[in-house]
Amino acid sequence: MRAFQICTRCVMDTTDSKIKFDESGVCDHCRSYDKDTLPNWHTDERGRKELEKTIVKIKKDGEGRDFDCIIGMSGGADSSYLLHVAVKELGLRPLVFHVDGGWNSQIAVNNISVMIEKLGLDLYTEVINWEEMKDFQLSYFKAGLPNTDIPQDHAFVATLYNFAAKYKIKYILNGGNFSTECVRNPMEWLYYGTDMAQINDVIKKFGTIPLKTYPFSSILRHKIYLRYIVGVEVVKPLNFFPYIKAEAMKFLEQEYNWQPYPQKHFESRFTRFYEAYWLPQKFGYDTRKVQFSSLILTGQMTRDEAIEKLIQPAMSEDDARQEFEYVATKLGITTAEFKGYFDAPNKTYKDYKNNETMFVWGAKIMKLLGIERAIKR
Amino acid sequence: MLYPRIIPVLLVKDKGLVKTVKFKDPKYVGDPLNAVRIFNEKEADELSVIDIDATAQGREPDYQMIENLASECRMPLCYGGGIKTVEQAKRILSLGVEKIALSSAVLERPELISEIAEQVGRQSVVVVLDVAKKFFSTKYECYTHNGKKNSKLCPLEFAQLAGRLGAGELVINSIDNDGCMKGYDLALIREIKSLVAIPVTALGGAGSYEDIKSLIMQESIIGAAAGSLFVFKGKYKAVLISYPTKIEKSNIIAAAQQ
Amino acid sequence: MIAIIDYGLGNIKAFANVYKRLNIPHTFATTREQLEGASKIILPGVGAFDHAMSMLNNSGLRDTLDSLVLEQKIPVLGICVGMQMMANSSEEGEMSGLGWIPGTVKKFSHSDPVVKEKCPLPHMGWNNIVIEKEDSLFNDLDEEQRFYFLHSYFFECDEKENCLATADYGFQYSCVVRRDNVYGIQCHPEKSHHNGVAFLKNFATN
Repeated sequence: MRAFQICTRCVMDTTDSKIKFDESGVCDHCRSYDKDTLPNWHTDERGRKELEKTIVKIKKDGEGRDFDCIIGMSGGADSSYLLHVAVKELGLRPLVFHVDGGWNSQIAVNNISVMIEKLGLDLYTEVINWEEMKDFQLSYFKAGLPNTDIPQDHAFVATLYNFAAKYKIKYILNGGNFSTECVRNPMEWLYYGTDMAQINDVIKKFGTIPLKTYPFSSILRHKIYLRYIVGVEVVKPLNFFPYIKAEAMKFLEQEYNWQPYPQKHFESRFTRFYEAYWLPQKFGYDTRKVQFSSLILTGQMTRDEAIEKLIQPAMSEDDARQEFEYVATKLGITTAEFKGYFDAPNKTYKDYKNNETMFVWGAKIMKLLGIERAIKR
Repeated sequence: MLYPRIIPVLLVKDKGLVKTVKFKDPKYVGDPLNAVRIFNEKEADELSVIDIDATAQGREPDYQMIENLASECRMPLCYGGGIKTVEQAKRILSLGVEKIALSSAVLERPELISEIAEQVGRQSVVVVLDVAKKFFSTKYECYTHNGKKNSKLCPLEFAQLAGRLGAGELVINSIDNDGCMKGYDLALIREIKSLVAIPVTALGGAGSYEDIKSLIMQESIIGAAAGSLFVFKGKYKAVLISYPTKIEKSNIIAAAQQ
Repeated sequence: MIAIIDYGLGNIKAFANVYKRLNIPHTFATTREQLEGASKIILPGVGAFDHAMSMLNNSGLRDTLDSLVLEQKIPVLGICVGMQMMANSSEEGEMSGLGWIPGTVKKFSHSDPVVKEKCPLPHMGWNNIVIEKEDSLFNDLDEEQRFYFLHSYFFECDEKENCLATADYGFQYSCVVRRDNVYGIQCHPEKSHHNGVAFLKNFATN
């Protein structure tokens, strides 16, 4: 087994088994940031101008329509701030839509509500059938795979594209950004959520009811068909000007009565449990390392601060005990059964059918074409 | 002082939550358990959960579901749907529910109100009257089985009878206003309220905090219950749970008392 | 260990849920043995006075409970009818109460028609309590101490000093009482959100 090593610049370490270090102990995430991300990331006048061009196009294409773009809203910091920017600074008229996967926290619904009201926008919601979602999520637990959040993630992505297609909206704005996400989750931690081969295999082996209404969308459909045939374009405005998360959250609090989250992705109760408990405790993957590393590289957190925070578990013991029981009850199983899945052997995406090769080649091509900057690995 | 109660009402069908319009066209709005959690954190005054399948399908209440909801619920909980006997009522209360709501069974046999009240105390016995006017009629009648069966009973008379027999609360649910979000049937509530000495809760029609305000302005001590208002947002009726914040609630009450 | 007396009445699950969330050890007591080791006791109760008294008297727990409370001075908290049972008697029934706090349980009756209209029975909903006498039970409550009430009878203390807090329902009446190790609360802290949780925590830990 490999000896434990942590990057000397960020806080990624050998819990990411594929991590590489150079002679000075700096990891490949940092190197990729220097080499692939930084040169292509302009938050100054240049970025602003680039974005302006896109915005003009969005507005022009949207003339005479009810909406000129679509924004998926989770209630989290990135999507909330994006919504503010899109309306107040860019003057866009977004269709705001939210997917309810059955795990919304009070903070999430509050934040969506206050933003919508203050900005005078109308909201669309898609509620995923809970009995199907439950069965799908249980299938992933039974499969022993780390990425148990695929059923939620996939639904969010698929519904967004379906909505864009249905309302003939050509521009999808999303809150994705280098500032807080320049270090990406390693593939072994969180495998692609849109690999239909894998999803179908897991459902076939562990599902107990047919998923009749659950929204599926394969990567081929939304990354190739919708983008290049239908011409749906994804825009990430937060990459074109300085986005400092702590400042953005403070601003939202003051301006909108927005409620802050203790940690990224905590707008969903499931994701909170999953990232703060299940993933680190069962698999040893602590997604805070990825989040903090991004903040370190972009100068929003010091490495010492991050190390200090990582000593504390992401979820207190008390909280974990209660959430464990709640998640089990919500999934309609006993805590004993849930514990069984926790104790079962850990699997990886390679243990089930997958289209990894296609994804890897796809990513390489995207990078060659300059569509994607850093490669997930 | 005693505050008016602002009460979200959740309808359960096929294990999921739905919201109807005039008791028809149930729209799926999500999972009950998560809704309860959100209302916990919003500190709702009370919560009502009505299983609209149970009586219509002639089946027993779903005890497992009730137990799950009750153990999650940190506010007073009222359950209704399919309760026909004293034993069922006692069993449901033992699962951690504060109040049980009775409707079709007591319209058929009003004495059941006394039988249950004697065993569990009147404070836990709620009688729900689903009322509607027929076309071109000014007369209200009580319906059962999700508005499909007309009991021909007059809600004004039955409300008084229910009070005498030991009901601890009356919920007056307007079928005509259900899901329309255009305000409560204030005249009906005024009339019923003047006839009984037990707490009354109005349901059906609330579409905004203004509607709740009007109700409280008229009655001061009243339960203001609503479904759509607390699960839908905006003109597209986007599903998003809401509930007045502490400040909003104080504002509603203060404005109504002026 | 907090023993929640299970004699067939009251929402005992709700108390257990609160203590479970607070991670405070608790148990349901249906037998003497389960009751004997208790460091604190919760006595819930709903429904008619006589019904509740006879359920308790027939539970097989009465002697043990009396000895724990009166001789060993174990703190006990009566809730709703559980509190009313601590009085000497009630207008609602014929049976004698536990007699732990001198007083009588009376039915609300408002003669003034205006008050009467404003005060339907049962007294149902959220009402403020007014603290008359400081006690550690009230630590960490909100400025506006709002609790959930659901009852038609109230506790009238013989001795004013036993009244810790009052509520207003047509007139001021005792809603939290105490005599030495015996405590009672008329409202339902188990369903009163954060104030109720703070109250139950205070009882358990102070």
